[in-house]
Amino acid sequence: MKILIIEDDSSLREIIERGLLSEGYVVETASCYAEANDKIAGYSYDCILLDIMLPDGNGLRLLEHIKSLKKSDHVIIISARDSLDDKVTGLDLGADDYIAKPFYMAELSARIKSVVRRGAGSISNRMTAGNMTLDLTARSVEVDGKPLTLLKKEYDILLYFMQRPGHIVDKAMLAESVWGDHIDTADNFDFVYAQVKNLRKRLDAAGASLTIKAVYGFGYKLAEVEKQ
Amino acid sequence: MKLFHRVILTLSLGLLPVMALWSVLFYYGMVNEINDEADDTLGDYAQLVMRRVLAGQPLPAPNNGSNNSYSITPVDEDYMLRYPPIKYYDEMVYIPEKEETEPARVLRTFFCDAEGQHYEIQVATPTFERADLLETIAWNMALLYLVLMLTIFIVVSLVYYFNMRPLYRLLQWLDSYIPGTKKVEVPTDTSVVEFRKLSEAAQRAMNRTEQLFEQQKQFIGNASHELQTPLAILGNRLEWLVNTTSPSEQQLAEMLKMRQSLARLVRLNKTLLLLSKIENGQFPESSDVDIAAIVRDNIEIYSEIYEERGITEKVELPETYIVHMNESLTSTLINNLLKNSYLHNIEGGTVKVSIHGDTLTVANSGTEALDPSLIFERFYHKGGSDSTGLGLALVSSIARNYNLTVAYSFTDSMHTFSIRFNSK
Repeated sequence: MKILIIEDDSSLREIIERGLLSEGYVVETASCYAEANDKIAGYSYDCILLDIMLPDGNGLRLLEHIKSLKKSDHVIIISARDSLDDKVTGLDLGADDYIAKPFYMAELSARIKSVVRRGAGSISNRMTAGNMTLDLTARSVEVDGKPLTLLKKEYDILLYFMQRPGHIVDKAMLAESVWGDHIDTADNFDFVYAQVKNLRKRLDAAGASLTIKAVYGFGYKLAEVEKQ
Repeated sequence: MKLFHRVILTLSLGLLPVMALWSVLFYYGMVNEINDEADDTLGDYAQLVMRRVLAGQPLPAPNNGSNNSYSITPVDEDYMLRYPPIKYYDEMVYIPEKEETEPARVLRTFFCDAEGQHYEIQVATPTFERADLLETIAWNMALLYLVLMLTIFIVVSLVYYFNMRPLYRLLQWLDSYIPGTKKVEVPTDTSVVEFRKLSEAAQRAMNRTEQLFEQQKQFIGNASHELQTPLAILGNRLEWLVNTTSPSEQQLAEMLKMRQSLARLVRLNKTLLLLSKIENGQFPESSDVDIAAIVRDNIEIYSEIYEERGITEKVELPETYIVHMNESLTSTLINNLLKNSYLHNIEGGTVKVSIHGDTLTVANSGTEALDPSLIFERFYHKGGSDSTGLGLALVSSIARNYNLTVAYSFTDSMHTFSIRFNSK
C-alpha cells in the first residue's frame, strides 16, 4: 500500500513517515504544494495524508485538484485548525476523513486502515484480532463467531486496544480517549481499572484468544492469552 | 454622590453664609435708615418746641395724642456742660396712655432763653422694637432662603439635565459597552465642545480596546494553531519511543508521565482554541437541544468516573427541557458545569442538579466561598488544583455568547451555579 504524506513541517513529516514505514506501508512525502502536485500527477496512491495549511497554497485546492483528476486516491485531511468549517468543506470536496492535530500515530494508522478498507468495497466495517471480530458499524463483538455482549464503555475500550495492537496504553490515555471531554487532568484514573477489569473478565469468559494485560502496573496492552 | 446632588449641596452650602451676611447687613442698614428718619423728625420737633418756648407761644401738650412727647427741664450750666450738646439715643420710655414702656428714640439737647436760663429738652418718638425687627428679618431671610433654594433647585435641575443630556447618553453607552461586541456607536450628537471631546476620547478608547481585543483574540487563536504541529510531533515521537524502543520500566514510567503532561498541554491548547472560536462567533448554527437529556447523560458518566469519591447526586429534572442553541456548545456548557461540580467536590459530598422554570442550578459541596469576580477568569485555580482552570471560563464564554448570565453563590456549604435559559 502506497501512502503520500503532504506536510510542510519536516519533523512531523519524518515521524509520520517512520511510523507508517514500521507498519509496512510504502511511503512518499511532499513538503509543499508544488511538490505534492507533481507527485499526484505522476503516481497513484492508496491514501494521501493532506495538511491543508501549506506554505505555497491551500491544501483544500489541492484536494479539489486531486478529485478533478478522477483518481481513486483516498484523502485524509490533517489540519491544525480543528474547525468545523474546514472539516465540512474538506469532506464536501471529497476527502474521506479528517484528523485534527495533534493526533496519535495509532489513531492515524487506524483511520488509514478504515479509509482504505471502506474503499476496497467491504460492505461491513469489520476489524479482526485473534479470534475476535468487531463490527464497527453495528458496534458488536464476536468471539469465535459467537456474539459477545459488551457495555458501551467496554466496547469503546476494546476498540481502542484493537486499533493499537501491540501498543502500550496507559490509563490516562485510555481514559482520555474513551471518556473524552469528561476527563479532567486532575482526575484520578482508578475508574479505568474497574472498567478494564470487567472487560477482561468478559473476554476470558467468552474464550477470547486475546486479553488485556497490565504492563508494569500503569499501562495495558492487548496480548495473546498465555496457554498454561 | 451624583453630580447633580453635589451641585445642589454646594450651592445651598455656599449660599448660606452669603445669606447670613446679607441678613446682618440688611438689619443694620434698616436700623440706620429708620433712626435717621426718626432723628430728622425729632430734630424738627425739638426746634419747633424750642422756637415756641423762646417766642412765648403756647407749647404743644407734652403728650398731644401724636406719638411725639417732650419734656423741658431748667438746668444749670455745669450740668449742661457735662453732656454733649446734641445726643440721639434709644431708650425705653413709659407711655402713660398706653400704660407700658415702649422703645423710643430720644433727642436730648440744651437751649438758653433770653434771661440766660439753660434748659434741657428731651424729645422722644416711639420707635420699633429691635428684637421684633431682628426676628422678622430672620424669618423672612429663612423663607427667602427656602424659596431661593427651591427656585435654584428647579432652575438648576432643568438647566442641568438639559445641558448634561449628552453626558448621560455617553455614560449610558459606557455602561452598556462590552469589549468585542462593537454594537452601539458612541453618541456624538452634541454641539458642546467639552462633550464632543469626551465622546471623541471615548470613541478613541473604544477603537483601541476593540483593536487590542481583536489582536488578543487573533493572537490566542494563532498561537494555539501554531502549537498544534509541534504538539503533534512531540506526541508522535514519544509514542514511537514507548512502542518501539523497548524501554525499561523506569524509562517507560517517565515517558508515560511525559505523555500525560503532553496530554494536558494538548487539552489546554484545545480549550483555548475553543474559547477563541466561541469568542469569534464560529458556532452560528442552532438547533433544538434537550438540556435535561444532556444533564442526565453527563451525570451517568460522572457518577462512574468519580465513583470512588462517594458523591451523592440529587437530581430534579423535568422530562425534557428544550432550548434553541448550538448543540456542541450547549453540551460543552453543561459538561463543564457538571465536571466542575464533581471535580471540586469534597469526599462524600453532594451534587445537586435541578431545572426549575428556566433556571438550571448545579451545586456541589464545598468548604468556603470563592471569589465570584475571579472564578470565571481563565486559569483561576483554587489551592493549587491540577485542573486546567478553563472550565468555568468556557461556561461563562458560552453563556455570554447567548446573553445568558451565570450566577454564583455559596449557601449552606454548597457552591451554587445557576443559569437562566431562554426556553423555546
